[in-house]
Amino acid sequence: MNEEQIKLSKDLLADDIGLIAAAGYINNEGGQAIADAATDLMGEGATTLLIDLEGTRIINSIGVSILLEILEKLLDEQGRLAFCNLTPTISKTFEIMGLVQYAAVYPSREVARAALEGDATS
Amino acid sequence: MEVVLHLPVVPNVELVAAKAVETLGGALGMHQTRVEAASVAVVEACLNAMEHGGGPVTVRLRSKNEAARPCLVIEVEDHGKGFNPERAPQNSPSRILGRASKRGWGLTLIRELMDEVQIRSAPGKTLVYMCKYVESAP
Repeated sequence: MNEEQIKLSKDLLADDIGLIAAAGYINNEGGQAIADAATDLMGEGATTLLIDLEGTRIINSIGVSILLEILEKLLDEQGRLAFCNLTPTISKTFEIMGLVQYAAVYPSREVARAALEGDATS
Repeated sequence: MEVVLHLPVVPNVELVAAKAVETLGGALGMHQTRVEAASVAVVEACLNAMEHGGGPVTVRLRSKNEAARPCLVIEVEDHGKGFNPERAPQNSPSRILGRASKRGWGLTLIRELMDEVQIRSAPGKTLVYMCKYVESAP
């Protein structure tokens, strides 16, 4: 298991909903890789970003601080940030650092998609 | 059962300590969620020690069983200039947005994720003592 190297993929789920799937250690490099993917998706028109952390079991506060910067950037554009597939510890870390006050958390990608796409069409 | 690690300051070396926590916590029968919480705490303690201590970091892990409540003890030691734990920054989730720097969460996370935390710091030696109870439930 190579936890150091983050594996990342990104996709547009709908015109304005971007998905980033990240598995691995979210440190400064992992966080920056996610931020770069977020910037790309926002450049393609995404105003809602869903970050799927299935396969991510360890994070550090530097990585989470970069996620906070993504959140700030999205809020500046009236966008939304959401997460899915968080371990209980990552969920608690996000809670301690205040991320969940501004970002939605869903148990799975399917539930997140249904909720976000439903919101987008309503 | 004791594990002692002497970690040089190289990128991602904190994961070595996290792996040791995972192995020892698993051997003690600790629930996976508790192991992961202790892993994040040791990562934060190592990052703080490397950033502020400036040199190699020593991590000691052992089991302890007092008052019939077994726990995994983790100590992280550095030899930097030290700090006053009572004056260390206390971050609050209500103040995260709009600040230029979003750093400084290490001690807050350690205190929230571990069951017992003690910090002793003086010029030349800082020791962060952390304990996570071995419980089968999260």
